[in-house]
Amino acid sequence: MSATTHPVAAADAGHHEASKFHIFVQLAMILAVITGVEIVLIYLPLVKWLVVTTLVVLSLVKFMLVIFIFMHLKWDKLFCTILFFIGLVLAGGTVGALMAIFSAHDSVPLKAQEIYAERAAAQ
Amino acid sequence: MSTHAATGAIDHHHDHTTTTGIPNKKLFMWAFLASDCMFFGALISTHLIYRLHPTPNQPDIVGLFSLELTSFSTFILLMSSLLMALAVNACQKGSLHATRKMLLGTIVFGLIFLTCQVYEFNHFVHEKGLTLSSSMFGSTFYTLTGTHGCHVAIGVLWLTLMYIRSFKPADGSPWILKSVVHLAVFAVTTVAFIKSLLSGVHAIHEFGATSEALSTLVHHELPALIVAAVGIAALFFLGRDTKAVEFGEANAIDVESMGLYWHFVDIVWIVIFTAVYLLEYL
Repeated sequence: MSATTHPVAAADAGHHEASKFHIFVQLAMILAVITGVEIVLIYLPLVKWLVVTTLVVLSLVKFMLVIFIFMHLKWDKLFCTILFFIGLVLAGGTVGALMAIFSAHDSVPLKAQEIYAERAAAQ
Repeated sequence: MSTHAATGAIDHHHDHTTTTGIPNKKLFMWAFLASDCMFFGALISTHLIYRLHPTPNQPDIVGLFSLELTSFSTFILLMSSLLMALAVNACQKGSLHATRKMLLGTIVFGLIFLTCQVYEFNHFVHEKGLTLSSSMFGSTFYTLTGTHGCHVAIGVLWLTLMYIRSFKPADGSPWILKSVVHLAVFAVTTVAFIKSLLSGVHAIHEFGATSEALSTLVHHELPALIVAAVGIAALFFLGRDTKAVEFGEANAIDVESMGLYWHFVDIVWIVIFTAVYLLEYL
């Protein structure tokens, strides 16, 4: 295991540090406001697809703000971003693939098809 | 290089002694978080699939959730992320007192989140009859949110250990026993406090915010209240500054690695809040 820190020039090290406190506080306020908007949004009389899309986009914005600012990806080496996004893309791809597979008509189990048919007949 | 050595400033984002230029602890944490993304991706997709293709015995989900409680939990977790970021920032600047305060704040906010989750699960099981085996929704919901809750609990434990570690004396005098006592007091106080708090909420639900609720709480939870009060006093005593400590700016990478884990727990909740809770209201 190597040493974990390295001395650098004071100006370089303290370049971003002074303003970080304000950045973090402002970001927390932005995240709280976005959360509030999300909650209000579900009660607005808008079409469903628009609300779903907006909620997904707002969640994505919150997600990205946290990883790039709170988690310092913005100031860290690009390799950290690449490493995390490999996992994120694989996870997103898995979610997308599973949703697509289970949405296909042929993937519905026979027993479930019977249940759905009974349910439809009852309605 | 001579300038670097002269100033003694530390670059917290790069480590020129590793081949990647990234501190090893940070690299490990990012790799772990990438793998944890896939873990939560599988759990979230399982929940969503069974919501889109509901099985029989599906409960009334909108009537089940409390948006007020979940929104409060979300706000608390977001603010805990702020405190965690400030703890990392304070540690990088070598401010021990600020680091400790922010770590304690993050611990408290994490415990509030866990208390809300315990309250929610208790409400679902005892009042709504939703258990792990009562329906497919119960199975996927508890597995997903329970796994997230376990991550939060591990994060709180890690934060507590880091807080206690910040008292390690610089002169090398024995500190293990005191640390174990510190941790034990912390654990007992936390359990007693949460137990009292949940009983208090239950009493308010039953009797309203009246003196009757207070007397019921005191009658049923007097031992827990005493333990919580004594524990908090003991924590103040154990948290005094008595001598110089080893913990400082050089430990910033440890705090930052822990912070990465904590923020990850936060971003997972951001997704769960939308995918599991908010979408149900449409």
